[in-house]
Amino acid sequence: MSEKLTIYFICGAGLGSSLACQMTAEDVLNRLGLDENLEHEAISSTPGLHADIIVSAENFAPQFKQYDLDPAIKFVFLHNIVDPSEIEAKLVPVIKELSAKAS
Amino acid sequence: MVVVNFIIQNILTQAAITIALIAMLGLLLQRKSFGAVLTGTFKTLLGFQVLSAGSAIIVTALTYFGKIFQHGFHLQGVVPSIEAINGQAMNTLGLGNEIALTFLGIFIVNILIARFSPWKYIFLTGQALLWMSTMTVIGGKMAGLSSVWTIVVGSVIGGIFAVAMPAIAQPFVRKITKGDAIALGHFCTIGYMVEAGAAWFFGERGEKKHSIEDIKLPKYMEFLQDTYLSVAVVMVPLFMITAAFAGPKYAGNGTSMNYIMNAFMMGIQFVVGVYVLLAGVRLLLGEIVPAFRGIAMKLVPNAKPALDCPVLFPFSPNAVILGFITTTIGTVIGMFLMPVFGLAVILPGMLTNFFAGGTAGIFGNVVGGRRGAIIGGIIHGLFITLLPALLVTALTSFGFVNASATDSDTIVAMLIYAWILTPILKAV
Repeated sequence: MSEKLTIYFICGAGLGSSLACQMTAEDVLNRLGLDENLEHEAISSTPGLHADIIVSAENFAPQFKQYDLDPAIKFVFLHNIVDPSEIEAKLVPVIKELSAKAS
Repeated sequence: MVVVNFIIQNILTQAAITIALIAMLGLLLQRKSFGAVLTGTFKTLLGFQVLSAGSAIIVTALTYFGKIFQHGFHLQGVVPSIEAINGQAMNTLGLGNEIALTFLGIFIVNILIARFSPWKYIFLTGQALLWMSTMTVIGGKMAGLSSVWTIVVGSVIGGIFAVAMPAIAQPFVRKITKGDAIALGHFCTIGYMVEAGAAWFFGERGEKKHSIEDIKLPKYMEFLQDTYLSVAVVMVPLFMITAAFAGPKYAGNGTSMNYIMNAFMMGIQFVVGVYVLLAGVRLLLGEIVPAFRGIAMKLVPNAKPALDCPVLFPFSPNAVILGFITTTIGTVIGMFLMPVFGLAVILPGMLTNFFAGGTAGIFGNVVGGRRGAIIGGIIHGLFITLLPALLVTALTSFGFVNASATDSDTIVAMLIYAWILTPILKAV
């Protein structure tokens, strides 16, 4: 079995909407039988995060460009951060790609 | 009996333990593994203690700010911050246990209403529930209720708000998201209704209605989406300017450091306090909220989760920035206006201005276009300055230091206690 991926969900304060997004994603991943480490944080804390994937809302996309982040981190930006089908369509392919590489 | 008494007096009076046990219960009900229950419970316990540490930092900075503001302007300056109110209520006033139990009670009442009424909203914004429990507990204690009744009444009032507020906002949320999948769970909803009303009255209609989303905003404004940065951008200069008026005697705080530099560091301390406190809240709620969600979804068929306001931000990002700016303008006008009416000086509370102001901007824009969002935003700013001003005297006499609450719905809940419940209890 391959290593679990670490996925961070990011919003402005790292409290409400990032957690809402994480819970929706957890449902999607459970349904598909994927088991990864899910965490949520504030955008101020992203420099220094050790993550494989960062998931955030579209409106934060320009913010991440200002940080000097590990180029290996994959980004997923969502329009509706609590829409299971959007999460499945955008996040799951990235997870599969990274898992395939690791194994 | 000795053992039971020991448990009651030494363990259950610790709010951190109470809230950790609530989290443990939620995790056990979900049949999580032993390891997950253990780490989840521990994280919640840790979160509460981190929150306390953050609160202590905020109080230090606020006490300093209150002193220099008073000597600089000869007025009482109040920082509206529900985080500071919560921290002080939990620690200084020792109401943590009541707040933790009311938090659980609100959730239970919320499920009951959702289960047996047509309003299927489950309020899942943990920190907003925490603020609501804080305010209802303070209200109950002020009205002279016993701890048990404080928790019972707080749970019922909070539970009603938890269903009513998403229900009121839903017609607008449908328009914003062009769907019915998301509900808004954020206790600033009365403020959003004020903005929507103002935007309808003053705004553009029909053919002439232009959405702010059709305009491209300057790039440099985007940094405002970073919560802590936008708090710092306003609070730090505010500390420094106030210190300049207060002079070295008061602003120096007895240190050898230059007094303006000292004020700068104190302003940073305030932001640090907010950061630490919210990090504590994140740990505290990271386990409880998903557990609540799991339980609620099982008990209430077709439940609709009501979520924190930033879920709406990607639908209307320009309106968020516009709402933040116009609400801030409104709160600045309000700061000068309140003393004219004999009320306390309420400083602009940047955290609320961003989240509530931004969301209010979305409501204003969807109802009344650009002009609606601008005029509505300023009126929203005035409204959210007036509300905490009404609370100051009561909160100060209860022992709070230089702070008042934010989040319109929690203040309205508290005013129900102060204006309706307390007079009734006194009359009986």
